[in-house]
Amino acid sequence: MTASALLVEKATKIFPGVKALANVDLELSSGEIHALLGENGAGKSTLIKIVTGVYRPDEGSVSVMGGSVDFSSPRDAFAAGIGVVHQERNLIPRYSVAENIMIEQLPTKWRLIDRGEMNRQAKHWLGALDLNIDPDVPVNRLSVAQMQLVEIARALSQQSRILLLDEPTASITENEIKVLFDLLRRLKGDGVAILFVSHKLEEVFELCDRVTILRDGRNACAGVPIEDLDKQRVVAHMVGREDALGDIGERHASLGKVMLELKGVSTAAGHQDIDLKVHKGEVVGLYGLVGAGRSELAKAVIGAERVTGGEVFVSGERATVRNVQDALRRWRIGYVSEDRKQEGLILLHSVAKNTAITVWHRLGKLLNLFSDRQERDAIISFVQKLDVRTPSLEQDVANLSGGNQQKVSVAKWLAAEAEILIVDEPTVGIDIRTKGYLHRLVWDLAEQGAAIVLITSDLAEMVLLADRVVVMRDFRIIGNLPNTYNYEQMSRRIMGCIHEADVVVGQADGAPALKGA
Amino acid sequence: MTWSHVSRYLIRAEWAPLAGITLFSIVALSLIAPAFLTEYNLFVMLRILSVTSIFALAQMVVIAVGQMNLAVGAIGGLVAILFGGMMEVYGVPVPLAMLIGAAVGILTGWLNGAIIAYSGINGFVVTLAMLSVYTGLNYGITESIPFYNMPQVLLDTYDGKIGPVPNILVIPLVAAALVGLFLFRTRAGRYILATGGNPSAAALSGISIRRSVILAHTVSGALAGFAGMVAVARLGTAEPTIGVDWLLPSFAAPVIGGAILSGGRVSVIGTMVAVVLIVLLENGLLLARTDPYYVQFFLGVLILAAVMFNRWRAVSAEKVTAARETAS
Repeated sequence: MTASALLVEKATKIFPGVKALANVDLELSSGEIHALLGENGAGKSTLIKIVTGVYRPDEGSVSVMGGSVDFSSPRDAFAAGIGVVHQERNLIPRYSVAENIMIEQLPTKWRLIDRGEMNRQAKHWLGALDLNIDPDVPVNRLSVAQMQLVEIARALSQQSRILLLDEPTASITENEIKVLFDLLRRLKGDGVAILFVSHKLEEVFELCDRVTILRDGRNACAGVPIEDLDKQRVVAHMVGREDALGDIGERHASLGKVMLELKGVSTAAGHQDIDLKVHKGEVVGLYGLVGAGRSELAKAVIGAERVTGGEVFVSGERATVRNVQDALRRWRIGYVSEDRKQEGLILLHSVAKNTAITVWHRLGKLLNLFSDRQERDAIISFVQKLDVRTPSLEQDVANLSGGNQQKVSVAKWLAAEAEILIVDEPTVGIDIRTKGYLHRLVWDLAEQGAAIVLITSDLAEMVLLADRVVVMRDFRIIGNLPNTYNYEQMSRRIMGCIHEADVVVGQADGAPALKGA
Repeated sequence: MTWSHVSRYLIRAEWAPLAGITLFSIVALSLIAPAFLTEYNLFVMLRILSVTSIFALAQMVVIAVGQMNLAVGAIGGLVAILFGGMMEVYGVPVPLAMLIGAAVGILTGWLNGAIIAYSGINGFVVTLAMLSVYTGLNYGITESIPFYNMPQVLLDTYDGKIGPVPNILVIPLVAAALVGLFLFRTRAGRYILATGGNPSAAALSGISIRRSVILAHTVSGALAGFAGMVAVARLGTAEPTIGVDWLLPSFAAPVIGGAILSGGRVSVIGTMVAVVLIVLLENGLLLARTDPYYVQFFLGVLILAAVMFNRWRAVSAEKVTAARETAS
């Protein structure tokens, strides 16, 4: 390690009425992977926005490669060699994958864009991530995970000396995480300084060299070597208490009748021969790599995607779910979307309206008129039960934290009295305290008699919560494993399952056996 | 509800600054121009308001679902000449003519909505085309010749009173109250707002986007048709050009009143106050003996100023919440 690649000293940022950052230090060396940790609202995003030129610090200084800098726009940061993958999606939906990757540096020929060259270069960076997608496809046709990988490819293509990754693994699966980590280690070997922000401590301990932790806008620690820390101590720095991780109590599973059963179901999305059983009181995990068809299967169950063959049974009764309304009102199936901002919530509407959206059809008698009070009465117990932290029910959900937004998107299905609940990536981008709460909630709901299908790409979460893990690949179900609650063992079995199928599928197609991995 | 509740509500309401400006304009105009507060002038303004407010509401309902209805004026015009024509040429009694007029408004609005919902074509393009279709029908039927002889009972009713309240005030107030009840207090209205707020989230919550879009356009057509008939009563003639000048104010009022054009958020009170402000602007310019050809110019300036003010408020509110979120 030589001179600091990036040095932030005593950064302070004040917003009207509040100090978002107070005297924060961060030092990044070339050739290291440095973790930046902290709960939601601890100031990580503000710090990243200062380093990338979105905000200017009110006090303190930033220097790059030993020279002091004063960014007034993100372009300045880019010019200084800082690449960033933001937590929020920053892709242009109708542009192709290649256009999105190369947008800062489009190759030209006679001042016109050279599409062939652009696609060739984009393919190179996609290849570095082991990502086999056509660079000509518009990004709005990709899954959330693929979009995230495209953003990482864009940051890579800029060949920055300093690379900031804000929650890069939030919605990608184990296998892609492995490819990404190998790549980051290679970049580190080449002398790139990498800042890695994540809520997943396992990843931090696996990947990072040093750790900086923020709490309430201040340094809880700065640049501590990872060897000097363990999980408990990291959590203690983050929340100021030692006991906040992992322990979500005991599971009292008692399974009832089969609530949801799929027999040989195929869908317009491409699923084949799907057999799935979920009992009352059970938490069934649905695991798979990107493009395995998990969310699409969920959407087929709730009638948002067409079922083309096979049979669906709800509580033993043959069910034809015509549309989402039918799923909700007749069959009591609810779906908590993986993308709460795009699909789960109406951000500019209030907590009350977002929660009550599923029950309006029951409110009101004469001419279907109902009052705010009737609406409030119908949902308040669910908002309280989920401990949604909001100044009032009239608050717009846009103003709530990610964790509380997620609680609202669960609350609306509880209010709807859903008996079968499909929960898709419930804890993406949510801080540890709220995560633990949501984990406990999934169990509580099951224990109160709901049948739950849990989709998550966080394998640790899957092993923590599921009673049974159903593994998907290429829109088929390829494994059904009882959970042993032993992470090492389960991750080996699940990955084994996926790889074995790889060989089988590969042979069936006459294609080369193992790809990727 | 105590007085402090009411006053706090009034101060916090989104339309509060707008209402303040409007009140200020009224006070200023009555001080500057002695002609302003005369009964005659107030009635002139109310007569204009009785029409403007209804087509503004017609536009607002479609803005709520996240679309635009460029055909409000064309529907109003078509209904107006059919309404007038039925009464003058065929001697159809007023109530029956109104029923048929309402049916035509509903039908044309429904057609707009159905084409948009089933074809998936952008509402802007569809209503632009339908604007031309309805206007063409109007001119084809009338050959641009107005119907001059409206039944006296229609005109008398329009200028009549319910108790002490003149009907020209009752009409807009009742229309606004009904639209408010519909949008915020019924399932269907809430579905429209939810669809405008986030169609994907609404669809995944069991709401039929298609039904919401069609219903919003149907209600819009009904209101536009009603506005056309009120205009006939006001003018005493059914002119084919009724509705030609409606488009700009129909957008101006909801937008000045705080509506978000992408949908999901509209304000009935805000829209109504904005209509008052627009009418005051026109009236004030008239009293100041400004060349009437410049009215459009000032209306444009008013729209820009109001939108910039709303934008400034939204941004500063965002800053505060962003700061609060970082702190929490």
